[in-house]
Amino acid sequence: MLEHVYLIPLIPLFASLVILLGFKEDPHSPAPYLGLAAMGWCLLQAVSIFWGVAGGRIVLPYEASINWFPLATEVAGKAFSYQMPIGVLIDGPAAVMLVVVTLVSFLVQLYSLGYMHGDSRFRRYYAFLSFFTASMLGLVVSNNLLVTFMCWELVGVSSYLLIGFWFEKPGPAYASKKAFMTTKLGDCGLYLALLFIFTKVGSFQIDQVREFATRGYFGMGAATAIGFGLLCGCAGKSAQWPLFIWLPDAMEGPTPVSALIHAATMVAAGIYLIAKTYFIFLAAPIAMEAVAWIGLITAFLAASMALVSYDIKRVLAFSTVSQLGFMMCALGAGGYTAGLFHLTTHAFFKGLLFLGAGSVIHAVHTNDMRSMGGLSKKMPITFLTMLAATLAISGVWPFAGYFSKDMILESVYHHSPVMFYLLTAAALMTAFYMFRLISMTFLGPDRDHEKHHHAHESPLVMTVPLMVLGLLSVVAGAALAHDGFVERLLSFPMPQTPGPEFPRALGLGVSALVLCSLALSWFLYGRGDFSIAEAVKKRFSAVFNVLEGRYYFDQLFLGLVAVADGAAKLAFWIDARVIDQTFVDGWGLLMRVFSELSALFDGLFIDRTVDGFGGLSSDLGTGLRALVADGQVQEYLLYAAIAVSLATIFILSR
Amino acid sequence: MNLGSYVALSAALFLIGVFGALTRRNIIGILMAIELMFNAANINLAAFNRYLHPGGIIGQTLALFIISIAAAEVVVGLSLVLAIYRNTDTVYVEDYNLLKG
Repeated sequence: MLEHVYLIPLIPLFASLVILLGFKEDPHSPAPYLGLAAMGWCLLQAVSIFWGVAGGRIVLPYEASINWFPLATEVAGKAFSYQMPIGVLIDGPAAVMLVVVTLVSFLVQLYSLGYMHGDSRFRRYYAFLSFFTASMLGLVVSNNLLVTFMCWELVGVSSYLLIGFWFEKPGPAYASKKAFMTTKLGDCGLYLALLFIFTKVGSFQIDQVREFATRGYFGMGAATAIGFGLLCGCAGKSAQWPLFIWLPDAMEGPTPVSALIHAATMVAAGIYLIAKTYFIFLAAPIAMEAVAWIGLITAFLAASMALVSYDIKRVLAFSTVSQLGFMMCALGAGGYTAGLFHLTTHAFFKGLLFLGAGSVIHAVHTNDMRSMGGLSKKMPITFLTMLAATLAISGVWPFAGYFSKDMILESVYHHSPVMFYLLTAAALMTAFYMFRLISMTFLGPDRDHEKHHHAHESPLVMTVPLMVLGLLSVVAGAALAHDGFVERLLSFPMPQTPGPEFPRALGLGVSALVLCSLALSWFLYGRGDFSIAEAVKKRFSAVFNVLEGRYYFDQLFLGLVAVADGAAKLAFWIDARVIDQTFVDGWGLLMRVFSELSALFDGLFIDRTVDGFGGLSSDLGTGLRALVADGQVQEYLLYAAIAVSLATIFILSR
Repeated sequence: MNLGSYVALSAALFLIGVFGALTRRNIIGILMAIELMFNAANINLAAFNRYLHPGGIIGQTLALFIISIAAAEVVVGLSLVLAIYRNTDTVYVEDYNLLKG
């Protein structure tokens, strides 16, 4: 079964090309069914692989590759021909990610049948979705860092295409540009890191790099530099501080695309890459610590920003950023299993939350939570599934998020209690803003009667994905955590570090605090009366302004851009005024003067000399002609005779 | 008779030809002097062939060629002389000055 695993990325890629080239644009085109069929096949493959792994019939890791092209290169002074391989490497995380990506993508495509129904670029949308998923699947299965990087960039391109899917509107066009450029900023670091790896190891193959790293051949400095480069790329892709600015804007794309980006295909890539190159971080404790702190900062900042947002999708976007921060923090703190486990469960409930938000937006045609409210009666399935997802993301037992978040907190506590407390604060904020979202959207009285009146439950094609993901949000955590399965599947051999053990009482305390946070959220927002919340907001308006301004990171980046712009203008001015006018033009002037002098000299001396010789021969000729040439043929003959005689005498007398 | 006599005869004949060509006023005479120089060369060819390569006939053959070419040359020369004479009404070369620069 595993020998055909390479088909998993190739079939959606093929499907996307067929859709793009083989179908006509038509709101009722059959193209989506092709995409769905391809993704369904991949899902079946992925699930059967996962099932085989779970049942112990398939032994991981599995690796197979073919040579792609040879590359003449030189590493450490040794010239050799590197056979660039392209192939698959399926280990525990890859097996899990395959299921997650194909499942979420399949459900998103199914959901889009309803959500995007009648869009004028229906066919293109499905082609892009398939392409997006294919790129991500390629990234997941690749055994070669360069191919991984290629797929990584393809993911970036397809996210650009999908975020800017409604490119005729200025918002999505701007957002797609922002997302693309911000992630590229990070990718520079990633690219440098890959080049550095190649110059050190002489190979891009993950197992060879891993071998190299685990034997300790990377020096501390090199490993740290590579680690920071990788972190840079992953911070861009996974929307970590300070490059998280693109993700809240990325919701300008169609909502199912947001679900795909936030759950499976885009932001997961960064976390997954960190996990894939974990051995490098193990060799570089400073980079590892940086991963943890960046994750922590992101988790905290994003969670606090989500507290005050009124845009339902923006709250979810901040929530994604924050949850990704949790995963980063876990990975950085040595919780490899915890980070990837949370990535998996988060994919289910965050996909669900976005699809649910899409369902709500589909019903009320607005993103603003202030004009929602009381939708629970109108949209029971959406309400119940989103409630499940909210409880899951908040980490309430026995929902999926409880297990993974608990594991994260445990490993972070083991690493550093200080980080644990900050992360717990972020977790409490998560519970608060998520329940605030539920309260403002579904509970309380309806605030906009007209919108409320027209609201209705979404069609079955949209609610079935919600229900599937809802079920997974409830059971996935417990099922995976059952009997230590997740530890076996998603483990990484690493040295045991000493640290404080996580007291069980603390875990219970966190759970209790989460429940309190939920209750507080309901108390402030759930009863249709925001007076207390508004009073709090007025009291701490400065804090609220900072949060609503997203800590002014956008302005900071725009400022940086402005500074760079000013620097470029200055450089241009220097180029135009100083370099061009002084050096280029001045040099030209100097050359001109010099050549004028040269021409003068030429005219005065050289030409005169040449002309003089010419004139001399001319005069000589004229004079001789006057002397001898009177047209007498015998005279000529005489000269010839004299010349021959002289020549004869000369020759004979030699 | 030795080779020297033939060469001396030939040289004398050639010098007579040169002298004639330089001093005759009549262009017909000049042409005749030129014929003398041809024949001096022919004598040389035949004599050198006879004394240096007695079995060979190359010198004689060349002399025969020269005789026939000289005949052709005389034809051309005389026709040129006729043309000039018709134009200038004279056969004295001091009256010909078309080459005067």
